[in-house]
Amino acid sequence: MKVENTWKKAGLAAVLALSSTALLAADIFVIGGKPDDPFWSIVKRGAEDAGLVVEAQGGSVTWLGPQNYDNLGVDAAELIRQAIDQGADGIVGPNWVPEAMDPAFQAVVDAGIPLIIYNAGGIEAADRLGALNYVGAVDYLAGVAGGEYVGKAGKSNGVCINSLPGAANIEDYCNGFVEGIESTGGKGSVLPLPATAQGNVTAVSQAVRAHLLKNPEIDAVFTTANLDAVGSVQAIAQSGKAGSVALCGINFDEAILTSIANGSQACAIDQQGYQQGFYAVSILNGHINYGLNIPTREILTGPGIVDSSNVEATMAGAKEGSR
Amino acid sequence: MINIRVLLHSPAAASILSLIGTLVFYVVFGGVELGQLVGAASWLNFAANLGIVAIPVGLLMIAGELDISIGAMIPAGAMATAIISGYYELPIIFGILGALSIGVIVGFINGMLAIRTTVPSLIITLGTLVVMQGVVLSASKLLTGEASVALLAPDWAKFLFGQLIGASHQVIIIWWVAITVVLAFVVHLTRFGNWIFAMGGDRESARNTGIPVDRMTIYLFILSATSASFVGVCQAILFNSAQVSGGMNIIFNVIVSVVVGGVLLTGGFGSVIGIFMGTLTFAIVNQGIYFTQIDRNWSSLIVGVMLLLAVLMNESFRKMALNYVGLKRTKTKAVENE
Amino acid sequence: MSTDSIASGGIAARIAGFVRRPEAGTLAGLIIVYVVFAVLGGGLFIGAPGWSSFLNMAAEVGIIALPVGLLMIAGELDISVGAVLPAASLTVAIISGHYDLPVYYGVAAALAVGLMVGAINGFLVTRTTIPSLIITIGTMFGTMGLTLGFTVMIAGSTGVFMTPDDISRALLGQFVGGMFRVTIFWWVAFVVGTFYLLHISRWGNWVFALGGDRESARNAGIPTRRLTIGLYMYSGFAAAFVGVSQVITFQSAQVAAGQSFIFNSIMCVVIGGVLLTGGAGTVFGIVFGTLTFAIVNQGIFFSGIDPNFGSIIIGTLLLAAVLSNDSFRQMALSYASKKS
Repeated sequence: MKVENTWKKAGLAAVLALSSTALLAADIFVIGGKPDDPFWSIVKRGAEDAGLVVEAQGGSVTWLGPQNYDNLGVDAAELIRQAIDQGADGIVGPNWVPEAMDPAFQAVVDAGIPLIIYNAGGIEAADRLGALNYVGAVDYLAGVAGGEYVGKAGKSNGVCINSLPGAANIEDYCNGFVEGIESTGGKGSVLPLPATAQGNVTAVSQAVRAHLLKNPEIDAVFTTANLDAVGSVQAIAQSGKAGSVALCGINFDEAILTSIANGSQACAIDQQGYQQGFYAVSILNGHINYGLNIPTREILTGPGIVDSSNVEATMAGAKEGSR
Repeated sequence: MINIRVLLHSPAAASILSLIGTLVFYVVFGGVELGQLVGAASWLNFAANLGIVAIPVGLLMIAGELDISIGAMIPAGAMATAIISGYYELPIIFGILGALSIGVIVGFINGMLAIRTTVPSLIITLGTLVVMQGVVLSASKLLTGEASVALLAPDWAKFLFGQLIGASHQVIIIWWVAITVVLAFVVHLTRFGNWIFAMGGDRESARNTGIPVDRMTIYLFILSATSASFVGVCQAILFNSAQVSGGMNIIFNVIVSVVVGGVLLTGGFGSVIGIFMGTLTFAIVNQGIYFTQIDRNWSSLIVGVMLLLAVLMNESFRKMALNYVGLKRTKTKAVENE
Repeated sequence: MSTDSIASGGIAARIAGFVRRPEAGTLAGLIIVYVVFAVLGGGLFIGAPGWSSFLNMAAEVGIIALPVGLLMIAGELDISVGAVLPAASLTVAIISGHYDLPVYYGVAAALAVGLMVGAINGFLVTRTTIPSLIITIGTMFGTMGLTLGFTVMIAGSTGVFMTPDDISRALLGQFVGGMFRVTIFWWVAFVVGTFYLLHISRWGNWVFALGGDRESARNAGIPTRRLTIGLYMYSGFAAAFVGVSQVITFQSAQVAAGQSFIFNSIMCVVIGGVLLTGGAGTVFGIVFGTLTFAIVNQGIFFSGIDPNFGSIIIGTLLLAAVLSNDSFRQMALSYASKKS
C-alpha cells in the first residue's frame, strides 16, 4: 500500500509539472495512420519537424495512430477522445469515416479546443465541424488524377488493384481512378485481392500478372499501396507487357522512384504527406500561441504527379524520408 | 492469512500481478500520470470491446477448444446490422436479430464440425474465418455495391447499445461488466462451470461421467460467435456505420488477453475474473502507450514482451498452485498435471 | 502412419496401400482442383503462364510450410514466421541498401536473424510448459516491434530500397524463362533436404516420436530439447530465406509485410494432411497441400470467377480438405484395426 502511495505522489507531481507548462505553450495532438504505414511515416515526419518549433516554444507534439486498420473509423474516433482526455491544446485529425468520427470531432470543438482537419474529409468537413482549416489532398481526386494521366497517355482500359477490399480510402482511390480514365473515353475496372494476399508482394504480383494475361485488353494498372506498385512492376514484366501496359500508383518510395526513372512505372500520385503533417501542426501552433490565422481555407497538398520529368528532384526528398 | 494464500493460488492471482506490473512499468519508464490514465475512457472502451469476446473464447479454451473465427464475426455482425437496418431501412430490431442469428449459425457450424470430426478447432475456425471474411465482403458488394454502409439507429437502440456515457465511456462497458458477472456466476457456481473444466481436463472421462460434452461444446461455440457479432452490432449502432474489414488482429488480441488472464491453452484451468483482469491488462498495455513518452513504433515490442512475461509468471504461479493443491491432496496428482 | 504400413504383396495390394497413404487424399484433391481450374481457365492456365503463376506463389509459402509442417508433426506451432519474413528483408535492405555494404553481408545477417528468433522460440518452448502458439505469438509481436522501431530509427521511413548485385540477383531474384522465379528451384532443394531429414535420416523418426508422445520420446533417449530448438531454427531460417529472396527480387522491403504467411503456411500444411495435434504427416503431403493452395489462389484470376468470392472459395477448400483428410484417416485407422 505504501508503495502505491508513493506512486500516486509521483503521479501528482508529474501532473503539476505538466500542467504548469501547458499554460504557456501548445500541446498539440496529431491523429494519423498506423506506425508501419509508409505514407503515414512521412506525414509523421512532417508533423515532428514542425514539432521542433513547437517544442522550442515550450509545447509538445504527440502522435496518436491506430495499431491496424481493421476498425479504422472506430479506432480513430477513440484516439480523438483520448487526445481530449489528455488535455490537448490543439488537435489535428483526418476525417476518414465521417459517420463514426464526426461526433468525436464535435466533442473537440465543444470543448473549445482548436481543430484542424487534414488528409481526408476536405473543406466541407472542416466547415461542418467548425474546424479552423483543412490541409490535405482528396483521395478520390488522387484517383481521378491517376486515371486522367494514363488516359491522356493514350491508354484505354485500366484496372485498379485493391489489396485491402473494404478500406474506405482504397475504395475512393479506385472509384476515382475509374472515373478519371472514363472521363478520357477509356474503360476502368477494379480487381479486389483475397485476404490471403495481404502484405505478400509475391501474391500481389502473381495475381496482377494472371489478371493481365487473362484480360489482354488491359493496358493500364493503378495501385494504391507501395508494395502493390513494386509487385505490379514485376507482374507487367513477367507477362511480357513491359512498355505496353502503363503503371501508375498512389504514393511512392525510393524503389518506386527508381522504377519511374528507368521507365518501368509511368507515374506516381503525390499526396505530399510531409506538407500535410508540417502545415497542420504549424498553423495550429501559431494559432494557439499567437492567435495567428491563415485566411486561405482548404490548403491542398495534392494531387501532384511524379513522372519521368520530375523524378530526379523527388528522389532527393525520398532519401531523407520526407517525400 | 489463509485468504491471501487462497487468493495467491487462484488462477486470477497472476493476472492481477500482471496488471500491477504493467502500471508500474508505464509509470516508471513511460512517465504516465495515473490520474490521467484512470480518467481516460479509451482503454476501458478498448477493453470492453475486446472483453465481451475474450470471456467466451476463454471458456472455450478452458474446455480445450479454440475459436479464431471471431475475427470475422465482429465485422459480420456490424455489416449485417448496417445492411438490414441501414441499407434496406428495416426496423433496427431486425438488424440486431439478423446479426445475432448469423453469430448463432456460424457458432453452430463451428461446434458441429468440432464434435463430428477429429479436426482441431483451430483449423476448423480458421476455415470459417476465411469463409466469413469472404461472405461479408461479397454480401456487402453484391447487395449494396459499397464496402461501407451507413446506419441511423433509433434513440432506444442508441441508448441501449450505442450510448456514450459522460460523452466518452461507451455503454458497452456496462454490457461487458454485466456479462462478466453473469458468466462468472454460471462458471464458478453452477454445474455448467464444472462441466466446462471437466471437458478441458479430460474429454473422455467427462463424457463417461455423464456430462453432455457435445451439447456443451456447441453451446460454447455459439456463445463466442454470438458475442462477437454482438460487439459488431454495438459498434455499428454507436458509430452509425459499418465497414468490411479483415479482423486478423482482434484474434491475436483476444488470445493474448485470455492467456494473460491465466487460462491454460491446453484446457482445464482458468477463471472468468482472470480473463477480465487479463483483458484490462492488455488494454492498458495497448492504450497506455499513448500516454507515455515512448515512441509508438515500439508498441508491438512491448506487447510481445509483456505477453511472454505474463505467461511465464502465470506458469510459475500455476506450478505453485498445483503444488499447493497437491500438498493438500496427493502429491502424484501435481506431477501428473505438469 | 508411415511407409512401412504398405503390405508386401500383389500390385492390387500396393495400390490399396498407396490409397491409404496419408498423402493419397491430398494428391486426389490436388488433381481435382487443377482439373477444375484448367477447365475454367482454359489454355492460358494449362500453359507456362498458369504454371509459373502458381509455382511462383507456391515456392515462397512452400519453403515456409515445410518446417512449419515438421514442427506440426512434432506437435508444435510457429506463428512468428509472419514477423521474421519482413525482419529479414529489412535487414538485407538496411545493411546492403541503406549502408551500401556488400549484399552477402546483408543476406548473412538476415539469415542469422531468422536463426536467432528460431533459437529463442525453441529455447522458450523447451524450457517452459507454455504452449508454442502463445510463445510464438509473443515473439511475433516482439520481432514486429523491433523491426519497425529499428527501421524507422535507422532509415527514417518504413520502406527501404536496395539494388542487389548481379550474383545475388542471379541466385535469388532471377526469373528463369522470363516468368519462373528462381525461388521455385530453391523450393525443390528445400523439399529434397526436408524429405531426407524426415523420411530417411533417423531425425525423422525422432520428429514423429516427439509428436506422438514427448515423454516417452525423451525416455527413449531422443534429444527432444535439441531437436525442438533445431526445428524452430529451421523455420526461422526458412522464413528469413523467403524474406531475403523477396527483397532481392523486388528491390525494396516494407515493414508491413508477411502477416498473411502465418495462416497461409498453416493452411498449406493442414491441406497436406498433417495432423495439427502431431505425430502424422509427410513431406509430399505438405508439397501437394501447398500446390493445391497456390492453384486455388491463382486459379481464381484465370477462371473469370468474381474475385470478391476469393476468400469464400479458399476457406471452403480448407474446410473440405481437412474434412476429407479426416475421413481418410479414420478409414485408414479402421482398416488397420481390422487387420490386427
